[in-house]
Amino acid sequence: FRYTRNLVDKGNGKFNLMILCWGEGHGSSIHDHTDSHCFMKILQGNLKETLFEWPEKKGNGEMTKKSERVLRENQCAYINDSIGLHRVENISHTEPAVSLHLYSPPFDTCNTFDQRTGHKHKVTMTFYSQFGERTVC
Amino acid sequence: LPAGLSQWFPALEVLDVSGTGLAEMGTELLSLPCLHTLLAKNNRLGGPGSLPKGLGQAPLARSLRVLNLSGNRFAEVPPALLQLRGLRSLSLGGNRLHGIPPDIQELQSLEFLYLGGNFITAIPPELAKLPSLRYLVLCDNKIQSIPPQLAQLHSLRSLSLHNNLLTYLPREILNLVHLEELSLRGNPLVVRFVRDLTYNPPSLQELAGRTVKTRNIPYAPSDLPESLVRYLSLASNCPNPKCGGVYFDSCVRQIKFVDFCGKYRLPLMHYLCSPECSSPFSSASQSSTSQSESDSEDEASVAAHRMQKVLLG
Repeated sequence: FRYTRNLVDKGNGKFNLMILCWGEGHGSSIHDHTDSHCFMKILQGNLKETLFEWPEKKGNGEMTKKSERVLRENQCAYINDSIGLHRVENISHTEPAVSLHLYSPPFDTCNTFDQRTGHKHKVTMTFYSQFGERTVC
Repeated sequence: LPAGLSQWFPALEVLDVSGTGLAEMGTELLSLPCLHTLLAKNNRLGGPGSLPKGLGQAPLARSLRVLNLSGNRFAEVPPALLQLRGLRSLSLGGNRLHGIPPDIQELQSLEFLYLGGNFITAIPPELAKLPSLRYLVLCDNKIQSIPPQLAQLHSLRSLSLHNNLLTYLPREILNLVHLEELSLRGNPLVVRFVRDLTYNPPSLQELAGRTVKTRNIPYAPSDLPESLVRYLSLASNCPNPKCGGVYFDSCVRQIKFVDFCGKYRLPLMHYLCSPECSSPFSSASQSSTSQSESDSEDEASVAAHRMQKVLLG
Protein backbone atom coordinates (compact mmCIF):
# COMPACT_ATOMS: atom_id res chain seq x y z
CA PHE A 1 0.00 0.00 0.00
CA ARG A 2 2.20 2.77 -1.32
CA TYR A 3 2.35 5.05 -4.30
CA THR A 4 2.38 3.29 -7.66
CA ARG A 5 4.38 4.04 -10.80
CA ASN A 6 2.46 3.34 -13.96
CA LEU A 7 4.31 3.51 -17.27
CA VAL A 8 2.40 5.16 -20.08
CA ASP A 9 4.95 5.58 -22.88
CA LYS A 10 8.57 4.71 -23.54
CA GLY A 11 9.09 7.28 -26.31
CA ASN A 12 11.16 4.93 -28.48
CA GLY A 13 13.75 4.74 -25.74
CA LYS A 14 14.12 8.52 -25.48
CA PHE A 15 11.98 9.07 -22.41
CA ASN A 16 9.75 7.44 -19.86
CA LEU A 17 6.30 8.91 -19.36
CA MET A 18 4.48 7.63 -16.32
CA ILE A 19 1.62 8.34 -13.98
CA LEU A 20 2.15 8.14 -10.24
CA CYS A 21 -0.78 7.48 -7.97
CA TRP A 22 -0.38 8.57 -4.38
CA GLY A 23 -2.73 7.43 -1.65
CA GLU A 24 -3.29 9.54 1.45
CA GLY A 25 -0.06 9.94 3.37
CA HIS A 26 2.16 8.36 0.70
CA GLY A 27 5.58 9.82 0.11
CA SER A 28 8.81 9.04 -1.67
CA SER A 29 12.29 8.92 -0.28
CA ILE A 30 14.81 11.66 -0.99
CA HIS A 31 16.21 10.74 -4.37
CA ASP A 32 18.33 11.91 -7.30
CA HIS A 33 17.53 11.65 -11.00
CA THR A 34 20.49 9.83 -12.52
CA ASP A 35 21.58 12.71 -14.79
CA SER A 36 18.18 12.97 -16.48
CA HIS A 37 15.65 15.74 -16.95
CA CYS A 38 12.55 15.29 -14.84
CA PHE A 39 9.24 17.01 -15.41
CA MET A 40 6.29 16.55 -13.11
CA LYS A 41 2.72 17.77 -13.51
CA ILE A 42 0.00 17.42 -10.91
CA LEU A 43 -3.11 15.90 -12.44
CA GLN A 44 -5.13 15.55 -9.27
CA GLY A 45 -4.75 16.65 -5.66
CA ASN A 46 -1.61 18.24 -4.23
CA LEU A 47 1.97 17.12 -3.74
CA LYS A 48 4.57 18.63 -1.46
CA GLU A 49 8.06 18.83 -2.92
CA THR A 50 10.98 19.32 -0.53
CA LEU A 51 14.31 20.17 -2.14
CA PHE A 52 17.58 19.13 -0.55
CA GLU A 53 21.21 20.01 -1.16
CA TRP A 54 23.50 17.19 -2.21
CA PRO A 55 25.20 15.87 0.90
CA GLU A 56 28.95 16.37 1.42
CA LYS A 57 31.20 13.63 0.03
CA LYS A 58 31.31 11.61 3.23
CA GLY A 59 27.91 12.70 4.38
CA ASN A 60 27.53 12.35 8.08
CA GLY A 61 25.07 14.93 9.18
CA GLU A 62 21.48 15.89 8.66
CA MET A 63 20.82 16.81 5.03
CA THR A 64 20.17 20.46 4.28
CA LYS A 65 16.66 21.39 3.21
CA LYS A 66 16.74 24.01 0.48
CA SER A 67 13.08 24.77 0.10
CA GLU A 68 9.66 23.22 0.06
CA ARG A 69 6.45 23.98 -1.76
CA VAL A 70 3.03 22.50 -2.33
CA LEU A 71 2.23 21.90 -5.96
CA ARG A 72 -1.43 22.28 -6.82
CA GLU A 73 -3.48 20.69 -9.58
CA ASN A 74 -2.10 21.43 -13.06
CA GLN A 75 1.11 22.93 -11.73
CA CYS A 76 4.39 21.72 -13.20
CA ALA A 77 7.82 21.22 -11.68
CA TYR A 78 11.23 20.41 -13.10
CA ILE A 79 14.33 19.01 -11.51
CA ASN A 80 17.70 17.55 -12.47
CA ASP A 81 20.77 16.55 -10.51
CA SER A 82 22.41 19.95 -10.83
CA ILE A 83 19.43 21.54 -9.11
CA GLY A 84 19.48 19.10 -6.24
CA LEU A 85 17.56 16.24 -4.68
CA HIS A 86 13.95 16.09 -3.61
CA ARG A 87 11.29 14.24 -1.68
CA VAL A 88 7.74 14.21 -3.01
CA GLU A 89 4.82 13.49 -0.71
CA ASN A 90 1.06 13.52 -0.62
CA ILE A 91 0.58 15.08 2.77
CA SER A 92 -3.19 14.94 2.59
CA HIS A 93 -4.98 12.49 4.85
CA THR A 94 -8.20 12.83 2.91
CA GLU A 95 -7.35 13.11 -0.79
CA PRO A 96 -5.31 10.92 -3.11
CA ALA A 97 -3.05 12.61 -5.66
CA VAL A 98 -2.05 11.80 -9.22
CA SER A 99 1.00 13.13 -11.05
CA LEU A 100 2.43 12.82 -14.55
CA HIS A 101 6.19 12.36 -14.84
CA LEU A 102 8.48 12.65 -17.82
CA TYR A 103 12.08 11.45 -17.50
CA SER A 104 14.51 11.98 -20.34
CA PRO A 105 16.67 10.02 -20.93
CA PRO A 106 14.85 7.16 -19.19
CA PHE A 107 16.48 5.56 -16.13
CA ASP A 108 15.60 2.65 -13.90
CA THR A 109 18.01 3.11 -11.04
CA CYS A 110 18.57 6.04 -8.77
CA ASN A 111 20.02 6.80 -5.36
CA THR A 112 17.93 7.27 -2.26
CA PHE A 113 19.25 9.27 0.66
CA ASP A 114 18.80 9.08 4.40
CA GLN A 115 17.79 12.53 5.56
CA ARG A 116 19.57 12.14 8.87
CA THR A 117 22.99 11.13 7.59
CA GLY A 118 23.16 11.90 3.89
CA HIS A 119 24.15 8.34 3.14
CA LYS A 120 22.97 7.15 -0.22
CA HIS A 121 21.82 3.82 -1.50
CA LYS A 122 21.29 2.75 -5.07
CA VAL A 123 17.90 1.30 -5.84
CA THR A 124 16.21 -0.17 -8.87
CA MET A 125 12.85 1.32 -9.69
CA THR A 126 9.96 -0.82 -10.81
CA PHE A 127 6.56 -0.24 -12.32
CA TYR A 128 3.23 -1.19 -10.82
CA SER A 129 1.78 -1.32 -14.32
CA GLN A 130 2.94 -0.75 -17.88
CA PHE A 131 0.65 0.47 -20.65
CA GLY A 132 -2.34 -0.38 -18.51
CA GLU A 133 -1.23 -3.92 -17.66
CA ARG A 134 -0.32 -4.84 -14.11
CA THR A 135 3.35 -5.73 -13.87
CA VAL A 136 3.82 -9.05 -12.12
CA CYS A 137 6.95 -8.96 -9.98
CA LEU B 1 -29.17 13.59 5.48
CA PRO B 2 -32.49 14.18 3.77
CA ALA B 3 -35.48 12.59 5.46
CA GLY B 4 -37.00 9.81 3.41
CA LEU B 5 -33.63 8.76 1.98
CA SER B 6 -34.22 5.12 2.78
CA GLN B 7 -37.71 5.22 1.28
CA TRP B 8 -36.56 6.66 -2.02
CA PHE B 9 -33.44 4.51 -2.31
CA PRO B 10 -33.95 1.34 -0.31
CA ALA B 11 -31.34 -0.54 -2.34
CA LEU B 12 -28.63 2.06 -1.83
CA GLU B 13 -25.19 0.46 -1.59
CA VAL B 14 -22.79 3.39 -1.82
CA LEU B 15 -23.41 6.80 -0.30
CA ASP B 16 -20.92 9.63 -0.72
CA VAL B 17 -21.75 12.78 1.23
CA SER B 18 -18.19 14.09 1.37
CA GLY B 19 -17.63 17.82 1.37
CA THR B 20 -21.23 18.74 2.12
CA GLY B 21 -20.73 20.46 5.46
CA LEU B 22 -22.64 17.74 7.27
CA ALA B 23 -22.56 18.12 11.06
CA GLU B 24 -24.56 15.04 11.90
CA MET B 25 -25.91 11.92 10.26
CA GLY B 26 -29.26 10.85 11.58
CA THR B 27 -31.61 7.96 11.71
CA GLU B 28 -32.02 7.91 7.93
CA LEU B 29 -28.90 5.76 7.88
CA LEU B 30 -30.49 3.07 10.02
CA SER B 31 -32.97 1.98 7.35
CA LEU B 32 -30.53 1.41 4.53
CA PRO B 33 -30.11 -2.37 4.66
CA CYS B 34 -27.84 -2.68 1.60
CA LEU B 35 -25.41 0.12 2.35
CA HIS B 36 -21.84 -1.18 2.27
CA THR B 37 -19.84 2.00 1.58
CA LEU B 38 -20.32 5.32 3.36
CA LEU B 39 -18.00 8.20 2.47
CA ALA B 40 -18.43 11.29 4.60
CA LYS B 41 -15.03 12.93 4.51
CA ASN B 42 -14.37 16.66 4.80
CA ASN B 43 -17.48 17.53 6.75
CA ARG B 44 -18.17 18.97 10.18
CA LEU B 45 -18.79 15.70 11.93
CA GLY B 46 -17.37 15.06 15.37
CA GLY B 47 -19.99 16.31 17.76
CA PRO B 48 -22.51 14.23 19.71
CA GLY B 49 -25.01 13.69 16.89
CA SER B 50 -22.48 12.63 14.28
CA LEU B 51 -23.65 9.04 14.16
CA PRO B 52 -27.22 7.99 14.89
CA LYS B 53 -28.21 6.15 18.06
CA GLY B 54 -29.06 2.50 17.65
CA LEU B 55 -26.39 1.94 15.03
CA GLY B 56 -25.44 -1.38 16.57
CA GLN B 57 -28.91 -2.83 16.05
CA ALA B 58 -29.42 -1.51 12.55
CA PRO B 59 -28.83 -3.63 9.42
CA LEU B 60 -25.96 -1.23 8.76
CA ALA B 61 -23.99 -2.80 11.57
CA ARG B 62 -23.66 -5.96 9.53
CA SER B 63 -23.72 -4.57 6.01
CA LEU B 64 -21.31 -1.63 6.19
CA ARG B 65 -17.87 -2.53 4.86
CA VAL B 66 -16.21 0.81 4.14
CA LEU B 67 -16.46 3.96 6.26
CA ASN B 68 -14.48 7.09 5.49
CA LEU B 69 -14.74 9.89 8.06
CA SER B 70 -11.43 11.58 7.25
CA GLY B 71 -11.16 15.34 7.40
CA ASN B 72 -13.75 15.86 10.12
CA ARG B 73 -13.57 17.02 13.73
CA PHE B 74 -13.66 13.84 15.75
CA ALA B 75 -11.78 14.23 19.04
CA GLU B 76 -12.48 10.64 19.93
CA VAL B 77 -13.60 7.55 18.08
CA PRO B 78 -17.39 7.56 18.50
CA PRO B 79 -18.44 4.46 20.51
CA ALA B 80 -21.33 3.87 18.09
CA LEU B 81 -18.81 3.25 15.33
CA LEU B 82 -17.38 0.29 17.20
CA GLN B 83 -20.69 -1.53 16.76
CA LEU B 84 -20.19 -1.81 13.01
CA ARG B 85 -19.08 -5.41 13.17
CA GLY B 86 -18.88 -5.93 9.43
CA LEU B 87 -16.53 -3.01 8.85
CA ARG B 88 -13.51 -3.86 6.70
CA SER B 89 -12.11 -0.41 6.01
CA LEU B 90 -12.12 2.58 8.35
CA SER B 91 -10.55 5.96 7.81
CA LEU B 92 -10.42 8.65 10.45
CA GLY B 93 -7.43 10.46 8.96
CA GLY B 94 -7.09 14.17 9.55
CA ASN B 95 -9.31 14.44 12.61
CA ARG B 96 -8.50 15.46 16.17
CA LEU B 97 -8.09 12.09 17.84
CA HIS B 98 -5.89 11.95 20.91
CA GLY B 99 -6.09 8.24 21.36
CA ILE B 100 -7.47 4.94 20.12
CA PRO B 101 -10.10 3.22 22.28
CA PRO B 102 -9.27 -0.35 23.39
CA ASP B 103 -12.70 -1.38 22.15
CA ILE B 104 -11.37 -0.96 18.64
CA GLN B 105 -10.91 -4.70 18.94
CA GLU B 106 -14.68 -5.04 18.43
CA LEU B 107 -14.14 -4.39 14.73
CA GLN B 108 -13.05 -7.95 14.11
CA SER B 109 -13.42 -7.76 10.33
CA LEU B 110 -11.21 -4.72 9.94
CA GLU B 111 -8.56 -4.98 7.21
CA PHE B 112 -7.66 -1.36 6.58
CA LEU B 113 -7.30 1.27 9.30
CA TYR B 114 -6.20 4.81 8.49
CA LEU B 115 -5.54 7.05 11.49
CA GLY B 116 -2.88 9.34 10.03
CA GLY B 117 -2.86 13.04 10.77
CA ASN B 118 -4.29 13.07 14.29
CA PHE B 119 -2.83 13.75 17.75
CA ILE B 120 -2.55 10.17 18.90
CA THR B 121 0.09 9.67 21.58
CA ALA B 122 -0.18 5.97 22.31
CA ILE B 123 -1.42 2.74 20.78
CA PRO B 124 -3.51 0.38 22.92
CA PRO B 125 -2.34 -3.24 22.84
CA GLU B 126 -5.95 -4.20 22.06
CA LEU B 127 -5.33 -2.95 18.53
CA ALA B 128 -3.37 -6.14 18.06
CA LYS B 129 -6.51 -8.23 18.48
CA LEU B 130 -7.62 -7.47 14.94
CA PRO B 131 -6.82 -10.71 13.13
CA SER B 132 -7.56 -9.49 9.62
CA LEU B 133 -5.77 -6.16 9.76
CA ARG B 134 -3.58 -5.80 6.67
CA TYR B 135 -2.93 -2.08 6.41
CA LEU B 136 -2.35 0.14 9.42
CA VAL B 137 -1.60 3.82 8.93
CA LEU B 138 -0.48 5.81 11.97
CA CYS B 139 1.70 8.46 10.33
CA ASP B 140 1.72 12.11 11.36
CA ASN B 141 0.73 11.58 14.97
CA LYS B 142 2.50 11.98 18.33
CA ILE B 143 3.15 8.32 19.04
CA GLN B 144 6.04 7.67 21.40
CA SER B 145 6.07 3.92 21.51
CA ILE B 146 4.69 0.82 19.83
CA PRO B 147 3.36 -1.90 22.12
CA PRO B 148 5.13 -5.21 21.47
CA GLN B 149 1.71 -6.88 21.23
CA LEU B 150 1.37 -5.34 17.77
CA ALA B 151 3.52 -8.23 16.60
CA GLN B 152 0.38 -10.35 16.96
CA LEU B 153 -1.12 -8.70 13.91
CA HIS B 154 -0.41 -11.76 11.80
CA SER B 155 -2.07 -10.38 8.68
CA LEU B 156 -0.28 -7.05 8.67
CA ARG B 157 1.21 -6.21 5.26
CA SER B 158 1.78 -2.49 5.55
CA LEU B 159 2.60 -0.32 8.55
CA SER B 160 2.97 3.42 8.26
CA LEU B 161 4.65 5.10 11.22
CA HIS B 162 6.42 8.06 9.67
CA ASN B 163 6.45 11.46 11.37
CA ASN B 164 5.88 10.38 14.95
CA LEU B 165 7.92 10.54 18.15
CA LEU B 166 9.29 7.02 18.18
CA THR B 167 12.73 6.55 19.63
CA TYR B 168 12.62 2.77 19.72
CA LEU B 169 10.83 -0.12 18.07
CA PRO B 170 10.17 -3.35 19.92
CA ARG B 171 12.14 -6.27 18.50
CA GLU B 172 8.85 -8.17 18.33
CA ILE B 173 8.08 -6.14 15.26
CA LEU B 174 10.29 -8.60 13.41
CA ASN B 175 7.67 -11.24 14.10
CA LEU B 176 5.32 -9.62 11.64
CA VAL B 177 5.83 -12.36 9.11
CA HIS B 178 3.85 -10.88 6.27
CA LEU B 179 4.98 -7.28 6.69
CA GLU B 180 6.06 -5.92 3.34
CA GLU B 181 6.05 -2.20 3.85
CA LEU B 182 7.24 -0.13 6.74
CA SER B 183 7.73 3.63 6.86
CA LEU B 184 9.72 5.09 9.70
CA ARG B 185 11.10 8.42 8.52
CA GLY B 186 10.68 11.49 10.64
CA ASN B 187 11.08 9.63 13.93
CA PRO B 188 13.92 10.23 16.39
CA LEU B 189 14.92 6.58 16.31
CA VAL B 190 18.11 5.64 18.06
CA VAL B 191 20.79 3.08 17.46
CA ARG B 192 19.29 0.61 19.88
CA PHE B 193 16.82 -0.86 17.39
CA VAL B 194 19.60 -1.93 15.08
CA ARG B 195 21.60 -3.47 17.89
CA ASP B 196 18.73 -5.68 18.99
CA LEU B 197 18.42 -7.11 15.53
CA THR B 198 21.91 -8.50 15.47
CA TYR B 199 21.74 -10.11 18.91
CA ASN B 200 19.06 -12.57 17.94
CA PRO B 201 20.80 -15.97 17.81
CA PRO B 202 19.19 -18.85 15.94
CA SER B 203 17.42 -21.56 17.92
CA LEU B 204 18.91 -25.04 18.41
CA GLN B 205 16.31 -26.39 16.03
CA GLU B 206 17.40 -23.91 13.43
CA LEU B 207 21.07 -24.76 13.91
CA ALA B 208 20.34 -28.48 13.62
CA GLY B 209 18.21 -27.91 10.54
CA ARG B 210 20.93 -25.88 8.89
CA THR B 211 23.46 -28.64 9.53
CA VAL B 212 21.17 -31.27 8.04
CA LYS B 213 20.68 -29.19 4.94
CA THR B 214 24.15 -27.82 4.33
CA ARG B 215 25.78 -31.20 4.87
CA ASN B 216 23.15 -33.02 2.87
CA ILE B 217 22.47 -35.47 5.65
CA PRO B 218 20.02 -37.95 4.16
CA TYR B 219 16.68 -38.45 5.85
CA ALA B 220 13.38 -40.07 4.97
CA PRO B 221 9.89 -39.19 6.21
CA SER B 222 9.97 -42.30 8.34
CA ASP B 223 13.03 -41.06 10.20
CA LEU B 224 11.50 -37.92 11.62
CA PRO B 225 8.22 -36.62 13.03
CA GLU B 226 6.09 -35.05 10.31
CA SER B 227 6.53 -31.61 11.81
CA LEU B 228 10.30 -31.79 11.45
CA VAL B 229 10.08 -33.10 7.90
CA ARG B 230 7.92 -30.11 7.09
CA TYR B 231 10.32 -27.80 8.91
CA LEU B 232 13.29 -29.06 6.90
CA SER B 233 11.37 -28.50 3.70
CA LEU B 234 11.10 -24.82 4.57
CA ALA B 235 14.82 -24.18 4.28
CA SER B 236 15.63 -21.14 2.23
CA ASN B 237 18.94 -20.31 0.66
CA CYS B 238 20.89 -17.38 1.88
CA PRO B 239 20.51 -14.61 -0.68
CA ASN B 240 24.22 -13.93 -0.65
CA PRO B 241 25.45 -15.65 -3.81
CA LYS B 242 28.81 -16.40 -2.21
CA CYS B 243 27.27 -18.21 0.72
CA GLY B 244 25.97 -21.73 0.53
CA GLY B 245 24.09 -21.42 3.81
CA VAL B 246 20.41 -21.93 4.46
CA TYR B 247 18.08 -20.49 7.05
CA PHE B 248 14.70 -21.43 8.41
CA ASP B 249 13.45 -18.77 10.68
CA SER B 250 10.43 -17.34 8.99
CA CYS B 251 10.30 -14.49 11.46
CA VAL B 252 12.26 -12.18 9.26
CA ARG B 253 11.36 -12.11 5.60
CA GLN B 254 11.55 -9.28 3.16
CA ILE B 255 10.49 -5.94 4.43
CA LYS B 256 10.23 -3.13 1.92
CA PHE B 257 10.72 0.33 3.28
CA VAL B 258 8.20 2.37 1.39
CA ASP B 259 10.00 5.68 1.51
CA PHE B 260 12.21 4.65 -1.35
CA CYS B 261 11.81 5.29 -5.04
CA GLY B 262 9.45 2.75 -6.52
CA LYS B 263 9.92 -0.61 -4.92
CA TYR B 264 12.93 -1.46 -2.87
CA ARG B 265 13.50 -4.81 -1.35
CA LEU B 266 15.66 -5.30 1.68
CA PRO B 267 15.86 -8.80 3.05
CA LEU B 268 16.66 -8.76 6.73
CA MET B 269 17.20 -12.47 6.47
CA HIS B 270 20.93 -11.94 6.28
CA TYR B 271 21.08 -11.93 10.00
CA LEU B 272 19.88 -15.46 10.13
CA CYS B 273 22.36 -17.14 7.92
CA SER B 274 25.50 -16.22 9.72
CA PRO B 275 27.06 -13.11 11.19
CA GLU B 276 30.01 -13.66 8.87
CA CYS B 277 27.79 -13.75 5.84
CA SER B 278 28.19 -10.43 4.14
CA SER B 279 25.33 -8.50 2.66
CA PRO B 280 24.97 -8.30 -1.14
CA PHE B 281 24.77 -4.57 -0.49
CA SER B 282 28.51 -4.27 -0.07
CA SER B 283 30.09 -1.56 1.98
CA ALA B 284 31.01 0.21 -1.27
CA SER B 285 27.47 1.45 -1.62
CA GLN B 286 27.53 3.09 1.81
CA SER B 287 23.99 2.11 2.29
CA SER B 288 23.58 3.18 5.83
CA THR B 289 20.37 5.06 6.17
CA SER B 290 20.17 4.96 9.87
CA GLN B 291 18.10 7.20 12.00
CA SER B 292 20.93 7.15 14.46
CA GLU B 293 21.19 9.79 17.09
CA SER B 294 24.50 8.50 18.34
CA ASP B 295 26.60 11.02 20.13
CA SER B 296 29.90 9.23 20.52
CA GLU B 297 32.10 8.05 17.68
CA ASP B 298 32.12 4.55 19.16
CA GLU B 299 28.38 4.24 18.80
CA ALA B 300 28.56 5.48 15.25
CA SER B 301 31.16 2.99 14.14
CA VAL B 302 29.42 0.09 15.87
CA ALA B 303 26.18 1.09 14.26
CA ALA B 304 27.55 1.81 10.81
CA HIS B 305 28.43 -1.79 10.06
CA ARG B 306 25.08 -3.16 11.12
CA MET B 307 23.08 -0.34 9.71
CA GLN B 308 24.11 -1.10 6.20
CA LYS B 309 21.74 -3.98 6.50
CA VAL B 310 18.83 -2.12 7.99
CA LEU B 311 16.98 0.62 6.23
CA LEU B 312 14.77 2.78 8.31
CA GLY B 313 13.95 5.13 5.47
